[in-house]
Order: sequence, then C-alpha cells, then structure tokens
Amino acid sequence: MYAQIYSATLQGIGAELVVVEADLARGLPSFSIVGLPDAAVKEARERIRAAITNSGFVFPAKRITVNLSPANTRKEGTHLDLPIAISLLVAGEEAKSYRSNDYAFLGELSLDGRIKPIKGALSLAVGLRDAGIKKLMVPMGNVKEIELLSDIKIYPAEKLKEIADHISGDNIITGRKGGMAESIKEAESITNLDDGDFHDVVGQEGAKRAFEISAAAGHSMLMIGPPGSGKTMMARRMPGILPEISNEDRLVITQIYGVAEKLPLDREIVGNRPFRAPHHTISAAAFAGGGRNPKPGEFTLAHKGVLFLDELPEFKRSSLEALRQPMEDKRITINRMSGNVTYPADFLLLAACNPCPCGFFGDPERICTCSQGQIRGYMSKISGPLMDRIDLHVEVKAARYEDLSIRIDNSSTYIRETTGSMRNRVKKARLVQKERYTGLGIELNSQMDQSHIKRYCIIDDEGEIFLMQAFHRLGLSARAYGKILTIARTIADLDGVDKIGIRQIAEAVHYRCLDRIPAT
Amino acid sequence: MNIQKVEQNDVNYPEQLRLIKDSPRVLYYRGDIEVCRNRCLAIVGSRKATQYGRWAAYSIARKAAECGIVIVSGMASGVDTEAHKGAIDGGGNTIAVLGCGPDICYPSSNRQLMEKIINKGVIISEYPPGRKPIAGQFPVRNRIISGLSELVVVAEAGFKSGSLITVGWALEQNKDVYAVPGPINNVNSFGTNKLIQDGAMPIVGVDEILTIMGFSGKEIVKGRNRLMGGDEETLMGIIMENGEVTLDLLCYKTGKKAGEIAAILSLLEIKGEIITGGGRIMPSYTMK
Repeated sequence: MYAQIYSATLQGIGAELVVVEADLARGLPSFSIVGLPDAAVKEARERIRAAITNSGFVFPAKRITVNLSPANTRKEGTHLDLPIAISLLVAGEEAKSYRSNDYAFLGELSLDGRIKPIKGALSLAVGLRDAGIKKLMVPMGNVKEIELLSDIKIYPAEKLKEIADHISGDNIITGRKGGMAESIKEAESITNLDDGDFHDVVGQEGAKRAFEISAAAGHSMLMIGPPGSGKTMMARRMPGILPEISNEDRLVITQIYGVAEKLPLDREIVGNRPFRAPHHTISAAAFAGGGRNPKPGEFTLAHKGVLFLDELPEFKRSSLEALRQPMEDKRITINRMSGNVTYPADFLLLAACNPCPCGFFGDPERICTCSQGQIRGYMSKISGPLMDRIDLHVEVKAARYEDLSIRIDNSSTYIRETTGSMRNRVKKARLVQKERYTGLGIELNSQMDQSHIKRYCIIDDEGEIFLMQAFHRLGLSARAYGKILTIARTIADLDGVDKIGIRQIAEAVHYRCLDRIPAT
Repeated sequence: MNIQKVEQNDVNYPEQLRLIKDSPRVLYYRGDIEVCRNRCLAIVGSRKATQYGRWAAYSIARKAAECGIVIVSGMASGVDTEAHKGAIDGGGNTIAVLGCGPDICYPSSNRQLMEKIINKGVIISEYPPGRKPIAGQFPVRNRIISGLSELVVVAEAGFKSGSLITVGWALEQNKDVYAVPGPINNVNSFGTNKLIQDGAMPIVGVDEILTIMGFSGKEIVKGRNRLMGGDEETLMGIIMENGEVTLDLLCYKTGKKAGEIAAILSLLEIKGEIITGGGRIMPSYTMK
C-alpha cells in the first residue's frame, strides 16, 4: 500500500517541490519519516497520529515509512503535516478513490484535526505553481496571501476531514481562482499614511529637496547633522514619496516577509514599500541574512523599499562592508554549510550620522567634548569603497526657534513641500528615465555606468567651465565628477528639461559636501 | 630634507626672540629664517574652530599679508591652519612654530600646507628633528609665537582653548592682545569674549588690524568678482543683512524652491562670495 502526495519546502525566498511518499508494510506498528526532516517535521508524527484519530479515521496499525523526496535536501517547517497525513489516509485507503495527482497540500495540523495557517505560504505556493501544480489545498488562514497569485486554483479548508472528503469526492470544496482583483485591491489600499507627511517637517527645505532627488532616481544618501535635527523624522517619510510598487514586487516582498516570518499579524500581504531601520548593534547575520538555516536579513527585508541606517559610523565594520555586494548587484548571496541561498536586496540606502561622536561639533549652543582625533576618526570609519556608493551628502543643521518661527511670517510666499507634490515630481522623473533607458537593462539614473554617463550626461560649455571652477575652488575629489553628473541628470529630469545646464550642475555640487577637502 | 640650525649668538637668530624670557637657545628651521625680520602678527585660536572662527582667521591673515605683514601661527588644525592659508593666499609670508621636530608634520592632514609654508616662509622649532609631538611641548612653543610677533590676535577660543596660554605669554612679554568678538550665545566664542572683558582689544573689522599696525588701508587691492545675476544679488543681500543664514531662511525670504537656492549658493560659493558648512551660510567678506 503506497501513496504519493505533492508538497513543497522553502528554498531561499522560493520553494522546491517535495514528493511525500508513504508506504504501509506489514510488521510491528511503527512510524518513521526519512528524507532529512528537521525537528519540527519529526514531531509531525505525534500531531498526525492524533489529528487522524480525532477526525474519525483509523490510524493504520502498520509499519509506516514516509519519505520526503528529493531526500538529500533539508526539509523544515510544519506545513508538511497535512501532506504527510493525507499520504497516510490515501495509502491506508481511508480516503478512497483519490487518484488525481494534480493537487498539492500545505498546512499544519492541530491535535483535534484542524488545519492551522503556516509561515511562508506565498513562497511555497509560488514554488508549486512554477513546478506545474494547478490545484492547491491550503489552510483557510493563508488564503488572502496566496490569492495574490494567478494561474492556480486554491482550495481552502479548516479541517482535515474536509480535505479527505473532498479528495474522496464526497463533499466538494469550491475552489477559488488566484490573482483575484479583490485581494490585490486590498493590498493597494494599504498606503503609507501612517508614516506621516513631509509637510510636518518644518525647516530643512534643502534636505527635503535632497530626498526628492534621492527618490527620483534611487540615489543613496547620507545625512550629517547633530542629534534632534530631524534626520530620522525625514527618513521615515521617504517611502511616502516613492512611487507605488508593482504587483510583482508586492508578491516578492510578501514572499520575503513570509519566509522571514515577519508578516504583520493583522494582514497577510505587504502592500507598501518596506522601511527598515535596524539599530547599529545588529549582528552581521541579522543584517545581511544568514544563520544555520539561512533566513533573509535586513537587506532583503528592505527589498524595493528603504534601508535606513542611523548612526552609520557606529555599525560594525564587517556589517558595513557587507553592504557593498547588494548595492552593486541588488541581491545578496549567503554561503552556509547547508547550501547557498541568494536573496533579492534592491533597496534605497539612507544613512545618517552625527558630525562627531558626541554630536555637537559645530553646534552654537552645546559644547563638543570630542578630541580632534575622535572627530577625524569618526567619519573615517566609513570605508572609501562604501563612501563611493553613496551619491548624495546633505548637511542637516539643528532646527533653532528662529528658523522655525519664520513660518509665521505671512509675507513669505514660500510654500512648504508636501509628500503629495514631491511624489508627483518623483513619479514624472521616473517615467522620463524609464523611457530613456528602455532596452538598456537599467531603469534609474543611479544605475548608470561610465558609458551611460558619457552618453546621457552631456553638458554645455558654460556648465563645463563651472564644473572646472568648482573642482579647483572647492577642492572636489575625482570620485565626485561622475556623481555630480548623474545627480545633475536627475535634477534635470525632475525639472523636466532635456539638457543639463549650469543650474543643475550648480545644484548637484551642493549635494557633495563630503568631497571637499576637509576643513579641520 | 633641508633642516638648518641657528644658535642664539648667530647673526640670523631672530632679534625679537633674544629679548623674551626663556629665550630658546637653538632653533631648527626649514625655509627662509630671514622672514622673521619683517613685521610679524600672530593669529591663534581654537583647533575645533567654527566656520566663523576660521573665516576670521583667514580673512585677517589675508588682509595683513596683502600689506606685507608676516603671519605667525602654530600650524595646528582649525584657526592656525586658516591663518597660514590666508597669508599664503594673500601673497605674503608666514611662520609656523611647531611643538615637535621640524621634520614632523603634525597634524598629518597639513602636509600640503607645510610644504607651502616652507616655500613661502619658514617652519621653526626649538626641538631637534625627530622629536615626537608630545602634549607638554605645545604650550611652551607658544612663547615663541607671541615672542616673534608685535601683537597677538585670538580669532576664536572656547572655554579651555590652548590659545589662552599664548595670551598669557604675550602679556608676560608685554605684547598687545586683540580678540575677535563672537555672539554671546555661542560657546565657541566664550574665550575670546572673556578676553575682551578682561581687557583685550576687540577687533571690529577685518581691516582694523592694519590701522592698528599703522597702514592706511589704501594698500589693499580690491579684486572681487562682482559679476552677479539678479537672483544672486538678492540672495547676497539677504546673507549680508543677516550675517549667518540657513537655506531655509533663504527659501522663506525669497519664496524660491530649495533646489534653486542650492544652485545659486553653489554659484556664489565658487565666486568666493560666501562660505558654507554645517548647513550654515555666511558671507566671505565683511560689508564695506
């Protein structure tokens, strides 16, 4: 008596097809699971025995062997409970006449035979769909998340009995088609409103402009300023000015959060761009991803969103160096004994730091208690190669009352920027870039290489002369040259002009303050 | 490396130094020791200077150098560095008195500046080549800085600035001490303001030091780039009126977008009209 059932196991943020084979042989009653199960899968034996009995079936008093094939990859997670239970029911002929092998099963069992939601359901479903499975039996609690997926039929169930009845043809569960507009609409309705509006930030108009430039072309940015100058407040508002994410991206992000077991409790879908702000004491494994059985780290959790690193120089050197691969390749590969995993990691890096360890260097009201060496050493903790990957530098000053109170001055015609107006300009600039780079394999100005810069960042004589003067006068370093051109390109796109003029270059120079020969 | 040595009874030993207390018996130097025969002015101040302090040191040094006055300082970071730079940019000579051997560059970030000083003046030290920069040596060398100079200007000093030690030496040597006043709500100007309270003379304009040293002020050549667009003029007007401003203030006063303001500021900075740093903007010259 033999049965074969389909399920899956997580592999990176995707999944691999697993065939659950069950064989009932004569001999002393026993139950063993082979095929590299981890502890949670081994414990499934106890849950399955109880669930089958409590659902009104007979647990086969045979010598039971369950094999999880391919037998050489490690299987983890409780979602294999249901397929194993089904394989026993089919092999024991409790579920009669089950022949069709186009179903796959996912679900955790409780002792009374109910099916509980599982982690990483979307990733498992994606893996199964890609393996050619058309029908999927899943826990009721995971339906919303899996419904994002098209090309698959979903049969949700709450009890083991329902599924057994369905496959025996006794009591049919109505299937739902995936990719339903409803769940997608619900995901779209989740906006970033709770993160606040840029209008709340009083002062810091220059920094806001830098945020706009950063968002328009995915330029990474470093803010330098004393504590309490609003660096974190502004960073939190960054996802709000980024354009909405596409449905494919939403799917990938939901997969990532499912695999990392980080999905918020009240919803199964990640609808908006993630904002991750890990503390600087974070371990390298949690930062980049890793662990004995690799899990995605902060880089991956920030995929298609914002990774905000406050107090950048305080991060461990090894952690910061790990940033280099994802910033180049937009993904991160983790090598562990149990295998290599590649996770997507296409994030926008926002970093912030104080001007010195105590934070008050240059502050008019507070005394800086740092020594000369400490101040110089602080910034040098950020290595050259990492600095090379940061496009915009912005000096943020502490807001003083005098700066804030001017808003009361009614005579000013200045209109404070809002998230809405900034996002509109960002959206337009992104469209321009997408059009320009069609067929080139890049989408944003920040991804340009030397040959692209040569082709798309042409400046006139006036601009060239200005740039030359700027280099001599401000002592700009060589690495600044290409950066200034790319930033000027983005500013031109935001301004809606085709050619880069002196205005754009002059503004771009403003955002490279760390390239100047240090004053101290 | 051409390091020379001069003893107290040599002819080219700086005359002024023979007269001071604890006059150094031997001086090691690199460059032209003869520049000490000119009229000298010491500019000292905090290492962790603000934009304002650095601006003051640079501007005073430059103006004085344009009139042929030799600027003496200690080649430390902050005010000292700016004073030497100002002197060199003004086409004058400058003297750096070190607290370590004349072959050692301390701080090492001033290596380029050190080369320029050797070409445009002299590096002096009472310590033999190879002597490391040890903390105790720096206050002692300050007596040479003040000893070489007719008067001492403190550009900026906080609560416990080493430049106040130079002031102590200057008073002992009977030299006049001038201090650049600063805003009283800025801790970085506390030391200089306190000096003024204690009797030091305040400097109320960059050119004033020239009048004090007996120049009429006509010697100064004005070569400013005055070609500015309308927007630049407007912005300069606001900056001049307020002294130190922020980008926000300029946005509010003009109603222009931050991006536009940032572009104009870059232009003004390249033209040398303003200096920026730490998110603050100030004019690079005082109003005339």
